[in-house]
Parts: sequence; C-alpha cells; structure tokens
Amino acid sequence: MKCDYCEIAKKEIKDDIVYEDDQVIAVIKDLAPLPGTVSLFPKEHLTIIELAPDSLVDHLFKIANKLSVALFESLGVQGTNIVVQNGTAGGQKVPHFAIDIIPRKENDGLDLQWKPLQLMEGEADSAFSTLKDDLGKLVLGADEKKKVVSSGKTEVVLEKEKTKDGEENYMVKQLRRRP
Amino acid sequence: MEQQMTEEQRKELEEKIKNMSPEELKEFQKQQCIFCQIISGKVPSKKVYEDDKVLAVLDVNPAAIGHVLLLPKEHYAIMPQIPDPEIGYLFSIAKHISQSMLRSLKVEGTNIFVANGLAAGQKAQHFMIHIIPRKDGDGVLNISEHLVPLEKREKAGEMVGNRMNELMGIQKEKVLVQKKVDEFEKEKGKEENSGETEKDEDEPAETEIVEAEFEEEKKSKKDKEETEEEPDDKSDQEDKEDDDSDDDDSEEEKEGPEEDTEETDAEDDDEDAKDDEDSDDDSEESDQKENDGDSEDNSEDDVDEDTSDRGNSDLDDIANLFK
Repeated sequence: MKCDYCEIAKKEIKDDIVYEDDQVIAVIKDLAPLPGTVSLFPKEHLTIIELAPDSLVDHLFKIANKLSVALFESLGVQGTNIVVQNGTAGGQKVPHFAIDIIPRKENDGLDLQWKPLQLMEGEADSAFSTLKDDLGKLVLGADEKKKVVSSGKTEVVLEKEKTKDGEENYMVKQLRRRP
Repeated sequence: MEQQMTEEQRKELEEKIKNMSPEELKEFQKQQCIFCQIISGKVPSKKVYEDDKVLAVLDVNPAAIGHVLLLPKEHYAIMPQIPDPEIGYLFSIAKHISQSMLRSLKVEGTNIFVANGLAAGQKAQHFMIHIIPRKDGDGVLNISEHLVPLEKREKAGEMVGNRMNELMGIQKEKVLVQKKVDEFEKEKGKEENSGETEKDEDEPAETEIVEAEFEEEKKSKKDKEETEEEPDDKSDQEDKEDDDSDDDDSEEEKEGPEEDTEETDAEDDDEDAKDDEDSDDDSEESDQKENDGDSEDNSEDDVDEDTSDRGNSDLDDIANLFK
C-alpha cells in the first residue's frame, strides 16, 4: 500500500524536513489549515495512535512540545494547536498516525471551536460509567503494568498496593454487610 | 467573584498582579484556576481516571458525549512549561483514554486536541488535553486544509528547522564530534578487514537503543565514559560496515553518518548498561544506564504485546478503514 508519509520517511518524496531522528520525522505540511503547520509522525508505518507503543507516544509528544516551542519562537505566533486526528471519522486523511502542530495568531481565520452539546440531565451517564469502568480495568491491568515497569520500578509496587488495598476494602465491606 | 468588585478594588488587584514575581503569579493563577479546584475536589466533577499525576474528567461543555479532559495535577498554563517526562506521561495516558473510547464507547474515531494560548482557543489557564470521541459526519472538528505556496513552506521550514536544531542543539553538536572520531575508526576498520561483510542489525533493536543513548547524552554532559568506550566501538563498527557504505552517507553528509554513529554508540551503551547490571556498579551514571537499558528492553516487548493484546476487532476496524 502506498503511503505518502512512509515515502517522506524513506526520502522518496523530498519535503521540508524540520526535524528528524531515528524514530520520528517532522515536515512542514503542504496541505495545511495554516501556513507553517508541522506534521510529526513516526517513521514506522502505524495507522492510528493506539498501535504505537507507549514509549514511542512518549517520545513523539516530547518532540511535539519542542516543535510547538520552535513555532512560538521562530514564527512569532501567539498560540499553537496540537491535534491528532484518529480514524477517518476523526478527520484523518493519511493512513499514517501523525501529530499536527498548527501555529496560531489572533484572527487568523481558523476556527477550531466546537459547539458545546446541550445535554439532558443524565444523558452522558452511561458513557461516563462505561468509560470509567474501562479505564479502571485498563490502567491497573496488563497495559499499565508494562508502562509503569518501563518508567520506574517503584511505581509498580505502588500500583500493586493500590489494587490490593482496593480489594481489601471491598472484602471488608462485604464482611460488614453480611449480618 | 471579580464581577462584584468595585472599580477601586479592581485597580488594586491589577496593581498587585503587576508587581508579582513569576512564582507569586503562578500561585495566584492556581488559586483562581477552576481546574485546580476540580483537582483538589472543591468543585465536583465526573472523574473517569485519576492517579498521582493526572486527572481525567468529563467535559461539562462537551463537543460529543464522552468528551474527556485530561489534566496534569500540577498547575501549568501552557504546554511549553511542562517538563518532558510529564508530557510523555500525559500523552501516554491520553492514548489509553482514546483507545478506551474506541473500545468501550464504540466510536469510529477520536481527536486528541490541545490549545496553547488564547489565540489557539485556550479558555482556561490550566493546560489540558481534550480527547473527543468522533463519529462519521458529526462535524465536531472539521479542519479544512489548503495548499500552502512552496515559497511560504520553504521559508517556514527553514525558520522552524533552525530553531528546532537550536532547541535540540546540545545533542547534535556532541554527536558531530563523536561522528568524526567514529568515522575515522570506521575507516581504519574497513582497511583492516575489507573482505568481511555481515548482515545489518535488526531494525527495531537499533532504534530503541538509540533513544537510550539520546537521553543519556542529555543527562550527562561530561560523559567521560563515552570516550573511554571508544576502543570497544571498533568491533561493532566492523560489524556495521554494510551500513556505513550506504549511499545516503554521501548524499547527506550531515545526517547519514550521524545516525550511524548513534547506532554504534548506543549499542555499546546498551551493552554497558547490561554489564553494569551484572556487576552492580553503582555510580549514578550506570544507574541511569541501567534504567534506560531496562526501559528500552521493555519497549521491545511492548510492541509485541501491544499488537497481540489488540485482538480487539474494533481497533482493527478503525485501522483498516483506509484500506
């Protein structure tokens, strides 16, 4: 499958590269919401951010932050937007995960404001509980353990203790309820 | 609160703000910050995730149902103020939240969105990451793109690129010096056994180790060990002969060889890191290495496990939408 970003990474397409290391590459976009928009993406072909390991996400956004600073300081802009469009429904146009860093000035004509939804009381409740349940599982589950291991050993212990405490509390509650 | 102030009080306050030191200002901002109050629990919120560093809550003015705000617990107004490790952590959590949305809310896409500064549409004085669940045609965030004239692109590219090099500069300079030494040794290596050819190293291993080296350089500027290691480099560079004879080297003198040196150095560093682990050499530096080495080793596992974990069909569906 042909992927424009992979071709940039392989230098098959000449583009304005503003940063490159062994894992990531950043170019000035030709099709962009505003001139000077930078697109930062991993060299490896990953369609969406979820497929990127935590270590890579970590590295990418550190660079994104630096690029944002570089935009502030070199183009004299007053703000930046950092956007990941994930999936075609999210507005993604190239099948390669990328972070767009958009330089912003007052009255630059770009409107990224969404209209707040007028929600009925309790309309978001099910989404809230689903998300909370899922994140609870995810964070204390295997995924989080991996991440914590890579960021420092002490934290693993902490996380484990937390779950233990939780379980104990839960058990204690159960016991109390019985009579 | 401020609306109830009289003109005099407002002036007084303005004067006070003007005379504040940056630290005082930060403290003042913190007191005024609604999100700091949410974090401290003074203002109720719907928390979907919380740990010691971050808090994720449902947005009260959501763009879509399930719109999440991810906040660092520490008060930062904009992203450039946030230290690197925290950035990495925040966005890793953001990734997991996004993943959770795709999986549990059955949405078709997500947006991860940050506004830095008033001009970018930032409303609160507290840095936050928006994670917005998206469905086809919901019209939440339509970013229209136009063709930017080549001239403008080149100019911006040069300016941003230069500034970026300056920002990352310390490392680059160091690598350049190292590069020359290594190049010299490579040449020597080539002459000594020109008949020997070996296959390239595995790609993933290389890239991961490089990061270890990259961070290490940042941390230890003196880094005497690096020079001490050089004799060891030789053997690895001989192995790498194939890489070195690559054509991009001549094509882009700056970047090609640089990468190569990074690779070889990093490899050594990693080996050292492992050695350190064994011998329990407990200088600070070796500790750092040990950690770096560890984390890189793990990240290799991550790749494998991550993909295998995701037998989840939802994710695949979204990833496959393009095909």
